[in-house]
Amino acid sequence: MSDSTTESLHPGLNLGEEHGDDHLEAETSVFGFWVFMMSDLVTFGMFFAVFASSLGALAGGPGPKELFSLGSVAIQTAFLLTSSLTSGMAVLSLKQNHAGGKESRKQLVFWLLLTVLLGCGFLYREVADFIDMAANDGAPTRSGYLSALWALVGLHGIHVTGGIIWCLVIVGGVLVQGVNKGWKLTILRWAVFWHFLDIVWIAIFSFVFLGGLL
Amino acid sequence: MERTKEFHHYLIGFALATILTIIPFTLVATVGGAFSYAILVVCAILQLIVHLRFFLHLSYKGQQKEDLQLVMFTGFILLIMIGGSIWVLGSLYSRM
Repeated sequence: MSDSTTESLHPGLNLGEEHGDDHLEAETSVFGFWVFMMSDLVTFGMFFAVFASSLGALAGGPGPKELFSLGSVAIQTAFLLTSSLTSGMAVLSLKQNHAGGKESRKQLVFWLLLTVLLGCGFLYREVADFIDMAANDGAPTRSGYLSALWALVGLHGIHVTGGIIWCLVIVGGVLVQGVNKGWKLTILRWAVFWHFLDIVWIAIFSFVFLGGLL
Repeated sequence: MERTKEFHHYLIGFALATILTIIPFTLVATVGGAFSYAILVVCAILQLIVHLRFFLHLSYKGQQKEDLQLVMFTGFILLIMIGGSIWVLGSLYSRM
């Protein structure tokens, strides 16, 4: 512990030496999840490619300037970015939880639930925007552009929904079974997933929404 | 000690990401035009790096290096696939 050089070899989404064997297993398990995450990124990438090549396919329907509201996108971005920070705080309190104290478990659950709350705030705004779009002649069946838009942004929304459900399952598991090895590794993988969704959102708000409004 | 350092790491990342988000939103709301689009692209790439570095803790050291290589290889594949699709379809579009 006093040797800070060995400890700093394991920063971030990892458990740290104090977790003993769990820590060693976390390395391979998190790396494996990264491999999945990257294949998921390729899926998103292809949705982006479809969207980019459908930019001109308006078919006389409404375009980005008629459909998007800058304020709403800003609120969604704020929700998701803050939730990325709180999920990071959850991982930090997990790393401190190696002694298995009740107090640090409370902290962990608090940060996880806060992340869920922020994620729900994001989803609420996103669904409200989708409903608005559909009401303003912007249903996915209207044009190629709109199909690609709903598919891309919707795919991200489904991922966020999945991340929220996953997080709630983790909270339940941690409360019932305690912070054991299985849940520790699950939390690390979930954190990679959640941060990853925020990264995909950077690309969506920059190129789909802001790029469309320019 | 190490814990406070990591905590600060997250806060720095969050601050940088917030700044890199506010810049493009402000530009789109006020200035607009091709100049804003260029800044927007730069901010998006920088924010991507900030997230990978400060939230996902990728680096050239230790096990994180393998994760980073994986991400960079995927980025390379994506570049070929997205860039290629846009190139081919854009060319087709301009011929029609």
